[in-house]
Amino acid sequence: MIRMENVTKVYKGEVLALQNASCEVQRGEFVFLVGPSGSGKSTFMRLLNKEEKPDRGRVFVAGRDIGKLPSWKVPFLRRNIGCVFQDFKLLPNKTVVQNVAFALEVIGSPRSVIKSKVPAILELVGLSKKMHNYPDELSGGEQQRVSIARAFVNRPLILLADEPTGNLDPNTSLGIMTLLDRINRTGTTVVMATHDRSIVDKMRRRVVELDRGQIVRDQSRGVYE
Amino acid sequence: MSLKLDYVLRETASNFRRNITLTLATIITVTISLTLLGAALLFGDAVDNATVRWKDGVEFIVFTDPEISPELEADIRRQLEDSPEVSGFTYIDKDEAYAEVQDLLGDSPELVEVITPERLPASFRVKPSDTLPERVDELAAAFRAQPGVARVVTASETIRAIEDLSSGLRQRVIIIAIVLLVAAAVLILNTIRMALFSRRRDIEVMKLVGAANWFIRVPFMFEGLVQGLIGGVIAIPLIWLTNNFFSVINDDVTLELLRGFTVDPSRVWSLGFQMVGLGAIVGTVGSGIAVTRFLDT
Repeated sequence: MIRMENVTKVYKGEVLALQNASCEVQRGEFVFLVGPSGSGKSTFMRLLNKEEKPDRGRVFVAGRDIGKLPSWKVPFLRRNIGCVFQDFKLLPNKTVVQNVAFALEVIGSPRSVIKSKVPAILELVGLSKKMHNYPDELSGGEQQRVSIARAFVNRPLILLADEPTGNLDPNTSLGIMTLLDRINRTGTTVVMATHDRSIVDKMRRRVVELDRGQIVRDQSRGVYE
Repeated sequence: MSLKLDYVLRETASNFRRNITLTLATIITVTISLTLLGAALLFGDAVDNATVRWKDGVEFIVFTDPEISPELEADIRRQLEDSPEVSGFTYIDKDEAYAEVQDLLGDSPELVEVITPERLPASFRVKPSDTLPERVDELAAAFRAQPGVARVVTASETIRAIEDLSSGLRQRVIIIAIVLLVAAAVLILNTIRMALFSRRRDIEVMKLVGAANWFIRVPFMFEGLVQGLIGGVIAIPLIWLTNNFFSVINDDVTLELLRGFTVDPSRVWSLGFQMVGLGAIVGTVGSGIAVTRFLDT
């Protein structure tokens, strides 16, 4: 599903974010990316949906070299990759249901599809009762659920989660992880960057550790350290 | 996957509301620059109309008495033919004069109605060999004294002034209008960029979930189009006002000039629509550029 071949990424000619990194993730896998801040976790993710281009090496998503993807096709790549962030990135002037519907609206989904898909996904993340609330009326955990609903409503092949529990307390984090686990069980490949030791140790999934831009460990059913 | 009209309208409306002051500034700039450009073009037309009789080196016109006898007219003709100082002349008979009036006043039928060919003087449009104003005046004075001549109008008196005024003024007004139009385009660009900035989260999300670039771009281009259209539409009555201003000038000047210094209302309308079209193009292109810069990351 995801393959990186000798990828090097340097920011502004001096900050080495990734150095000769190679990695392969199979369809349906759940991978934790761990490592200290600045070790290249976010760059790893941003390369996958072509927010960044590698300086050297190649990145394959679903068997395709995305470096060869013309820029007008990049949106279609991104439709297959859901993204979840630490800061949720919800639109504050839209309600929960509008936030999720927006993701379908802007890729041109027909209204009937939006009408059926959005309530279903909100049911899945357990927010049916707060459909018409605004993000600032929700707790952090609930906001993250909305953001996951938005990322997953289009049933992407891959879900990228960049420290999704970074702003949440341990209990809420657990709920989010349960949700991500459920999404993973539907066959979606999940790549999650995290600093959360307890979660990684508890889930016992594949762990890829980065340090100063290099992959220093790749362990199936691994622990944080 | 189609771009839904209601989506575009909703987005445009919300952009307008969020940036009301900038939007107003843009519309006003578009209006002013289009009005100036339109007025300049109109002014040029009016000058062309006013000076139509003075083309090809015609320096003065000898109007004959409407009741002139054929002998006297032949006398004048012979004089013009014999004079070494006249390099050429054209004879405009009553019917031709009437046709010209109809041409110039075609859209004011009430004016045309009161004029009949019989009431119009025939005239000779004279090209002197020496165009020095003093020499032309001398020659004109000679004809003014002729029996059967109602009056002689020289170009030097009014037309030179108008032509001098117009060539300079018209150019300057057009330059100002173009500068303003560029300013309007830049303002539209800036408005859209502000709109984009205030909606950068939306756009970030749109990009993340895979919205096509044109899907992000179209609402903003539509916003620019609407701004340009509104600016252009407001410019139409203002251009009309400038045309009325020309009419005021007409009242001040001699009867001969009345024949010239007007512009066809249909011309004003077509000019107005051209200005609306120009506004729409400037608005759409300006915002298109603004969004493209924002999207090309």
